[in-house]
Amino acid sequence: MLENNNLKICSRLVRRDIKFHKARSILLMAAIALVCMLYTFSFALGGMIRDGYIYTYKMTYGSDSHIIFYDLNRAQAAALRGHVRAADSVTLSAIGILSDDMLEYRSVKLAAVSSGWAEATDAVPLHGRMPEEKGEIALDELTMNSLAIPYEIGTEVTLWWTTAEGEKREDTFRLCGWWDSLMGLSETCAWITEETARELYPGMLESGHVSLGVTLYRPEKLEEQAEKMLTDLGLGHIPFTTNLACNEARLEFVGSQAMRFYRMNLIVVLCGILMIYNIARTSMQQNVRFYGRVKSLGMAPRQICVFSIERAAFLCVPAIVPGWLAGFALYVAVSPFVVVGIEENPALLFFRLWPFAAGALFTWLTTLAACLLPMRATAKSSPVQAMRFVEGQRGRSRRKGKRRRTTIPLMALSGLARQRGQSVLTAISLLLSLMILCGIWTQAVSYDEETYVSSLALSDYRIEDASATRSIQRYNPRSRSITPELLHALERHPAVTDTGEISTMEVPMYANEKDRAPIVATFEEKAEDGIARKESMANNPDWLAGYEKLRESGEYIGIVTGVKGLALEKALAQSLYIEGSFQPDRFASGKYVIAAGADSGQIRTTPPAGSKITVNGRKFEIMASVPYESSLISGADSKEAQFNITYYMPMEIFDELFPDHGIRNVMVNIDHGRQKEFDSFLAKLLKGTGIAVTSYSDYQWNFRDAIFHRYMIPLFIGSVMLFIGILNFCNAIVTRMLVRKKEFAVYESLGMTGRQIRRMLLWEGALCCGVMVLLLVPVTAASTWVWGRWWLAHTNTWCITWRYSLMPLWVSLPVLLILAVLIPLYCLKSVTRESITERLRVVE
Amino acid sequence: MSIITIHNLKKYYGSGSSQVKALDGVDMTVAQGEFAAIVGPSGSGKTTLLNMMGGLDLPTQGEIIVDGVTLSSLREEQLAVFRRKRVGFIFQNYNLVPTLTVEENILLPLDLDGSSPDTGFLGDVTELLGLKDIMHVYPETLSGGQQQRVAIARALSAKPAIILADEPTGNLDSKNGQNVAGLLKMTTELYHRTLVMITHNLELAQLADRVIRMEDGRIME
Repeated sequence: MLENNNLKICSRLVRRDIKFHKARSILLMAAIALVCMLYTFSFALGGMIRDGYIYTYKMTYGSDSHIIFYDLNRAQAAALRGHVRAADSVTLSAIGILSDDMLEYRSVKLAAVSSGWAEATDAVPLHGRMPEEKGEIALDELTMNSLAIPYEIGTEVTLWWTTAEGEKREDTFRLCGWWDSLMGLSETCAWITEETARELYPGMLESGHVSLGVTLYRPEKLEEQAEKMLTDLGLGHIPFTTNLACNEARLEFVGSQAMRFYRMNLIVVLCGILMIYNIARTSMQQNVRFYGRVKSLGMAPRQICVFSIERAAFLCVPAIVPGWLAGFALYVAVSPFVVVGIEENPALLFFRLWPFAAGALFTWLTTLAACLLPMRATAKSSPVQAMRFVEGQRGRSRRKGKRRRTTIPLMALSGLARQRGQSVLTAISLLLSLMILCGIWTQAVSYDEETYVSSLALSDYRIEDASATRSIQRYNPRSRSITPELLHALERHPAVTDTGEISTMEVPMYANEKDRAPIVATFEEKAEDGIARKESMANNPDWLAGYEKLRESGEYIGIVTGVKGLALEKALAQSLYIEGSFQPDRFASGKYVIAAGADSGQIRTTPPAGSKITVNGRKFEIMASVPYESSLISGADSKEAQFNITYYMPMEIFDELFPDHGIRNVMVNIDHGRQKEFDSFLAKLLKGTGIAVTSYSDYQWNFRDAIFHRYMIPLFIGSVMLFIGILNFCNAIVTRMLVRKKEFAVYESLGMTGRQIRRMLLWEGALCCGVMVLLLVPVTAASTWVWGRWWLAHTNTWCITWRYSLMPLWVSLPVLLILAVLIPLYCLKSVTRESITERLRVVE
Repeated sequence: MSIITIHNLKKYYGSGSSQVKALDGVDMTVAQGEFAAIVGPSGSGKTTLLNMMGGLDLPTQGEIIVDGVTLSSLREEQLAVFRRKRVGFIFQNYNLVPTLTVEENILLPLDLDGSSPDTGFLGDVTELLGLKDIMHVYPETLSGGQQQRVAIARALSAKPAIILADEPTGNLDSKNGQNVAGLLKMTTELYHRTLVMITHNLELAQLADRVIRMEDGRIME
């Protein structure tokens, strides 16, 4: 008898409620759209970060395949291809590996054309075509730059390569195509025709050394699956690698990176509930009384619950699509700054649908939470209590004491005190956002651009030889991409104020026992952490081998560096002579060099000043030793030279010693007023040369981009929170005014003038702001200081200058003051529009 | 045969020296089809008693049996269904839902229950109360008298066992008040409903079969 419940009535009540309170509903929908925008944005961004990392790992691995098996014979490859776990596969038949010294940091296989493999490794020629005729070859641009091969179809290319058996050969090919790909940085192929491969290495293609790239149905636990495949087929030990993009540990790391963005959604949840709830609060009394009324007519708790759920859904439906669009637009605008180094817009490359679904779901849940709050207010009260609900009424009475004369400021204070519940909520929302904003702002402004850029950019532009544009590229002194003509053109440009040249040559050298003793002592000695300095280089076996060679035999690689103009100035710029001093005349004489080593006067990593070195049979004396400036040169030195000692000498002397050398880097300073002109000149001058340019502006941009990348999301969320806090603040003021229609009528009926009411409101505004200042300033200042100092103590970044700033707070306070004063005065007009008697009849 | 039985009903607010005894041991019965008027000064506990009868508020102590149902044994959900099926409320301030039309307001207890209206019965009630022409307008456009007539129609719509009216004419002028009270008496008699009405107006109280006087939370019959 007492169990029948009709739930259909709920949707009618909801529809009517939305239609009846149009303005409030539209405001709520706008707030919900904003919440949906934030959710969609942060979910999409988090997803993009995840996909971006996975993309980078895939690029690093160099293939789309999940597992690559190496050194297979034909039968083994066929068996693996047919395994039940293999969804797809690509095959590569390499006859050897390019073995020019300049490619020692990379692995370039000389292989017969395999279009499947080429696609899986993004090694398809973009200029020219794949080899079709005997003797043709297609290469990637990085290999061409390292080997100083011109970008010209038909060019004769002579390559050193090593067969699988270790035999080193030299052959000449004809260039038919090339490509540039981020996927082939560490490993790629040099394509030749099958016919050429058979001719170069008869029997090789038939006998084996096949690599097989396998795509699995389920790309998880790759190592386990690879082992299982080999065991299933009884293939024993076959070498294989697995795609880094599917590596569990890396995926866990990627997940943790994306989680930073997802975690921000907790703030969005809080903000969203606060914002929607605060808008709903404007009619809290109305809502609670409504619930009381319908409860008294027999609306069951379950029906009220369904009503709230449907209300949330009805409000969400029209708000979600605009929220999605706004969130997506924001995501598209921001993503190029978050994921850099990809030609396509990362927003589109990593587009997924799930953030939209998640955004909609979370928006609905947030709205529901906000909509359920008034229902909760009535849940514990009887229908009678709910129908008599008066917001903010706590039944508190004033302490007994001497009667105070009622003044306008006292009335204002009392008016303010009545709304303290809502004021506390508003203050918390503002405080939270300002604490986050000021804390993050202090961190962001403490990063010192000047320190960062001046440490890394020694000149306005550094022009880099095509063979030395990346850290994995060994500089090739035979490369002539920076030609004398190009150099002259640069020097002659009217915008150029200063230039410098750097050339390097790796030279085997010898240090006698006396000269190498301080170096050995430095590296054998234990550092502050209790570990011998050489042990800290254990992760670089080439360095260790070079050092041990010096320690045992005195032989080492010296990087003889010719410097001219600006380059010499910058090499000595720190003027921190660890030993000796710079004497220009003696340096120019060609009998002296300057050694460059560790950046400390406490340790020695170069032979002592006054000792002698021999370069190409010519003797030089070390005039001084200075800290090594790593930003002076680009690219990498050979593996053998991982342990080296750099010697600076005048470029004229370097020319005499190595008359056929190329230029590794050119440094250029310009008149900054003509930067645009110079940039366009440079773009034209360097087009198609493979030469790279790193400019001062690049470092600035990198710095700003890094700071932006690091702090954009928290600052954005903090700003949205502040915006919501300010909205709540406005909302609280408006609500305070709207519910006082009758109160103002009573004042007026008792003889209070309009001017006195306005004065009272001004007092209220000022007092409200005063309370906010008393709360916000000390708490925000203290939290920013504590958080900032903690961050400073725990961060490892070197380019920080502590800058304590409460800028967001100082910007917000005047805004709050203006709003606190103006909104009540504006609302007063509409509240007092009706006559006193009409307003006195109002049932609040 | 009594349709409402109240035994030793108490409702206290607060505690200690500030305790207010809104109802202090009320015992009473109301017979089926009876029209009982409750009168008494402000603060005597009339509205509290009426709210207890309708299951709108919970007593501190005592028992209320309405139409055979002991209210203290009901869970909140059951209490809600009890209100919608067994009780028709008429409030001094009407308590109409502003977002629903007159017709929808009248049918709301039935809609909440998911039951079909007795169209003939409702047609008669609305005809009788003079609401036929305003069925599709919203309450805010109606006068106080009209709104109270809508409230009476709503109270009758689910054919409840009892109708509880809390100063139904309190917000109306004397002419409208007389009209509404007359209509209320007429409709409850016509449809054989039990009516318990609170009023300050002794003239209206004379219309009742029985007048119950309350003072300080007690019945002074």
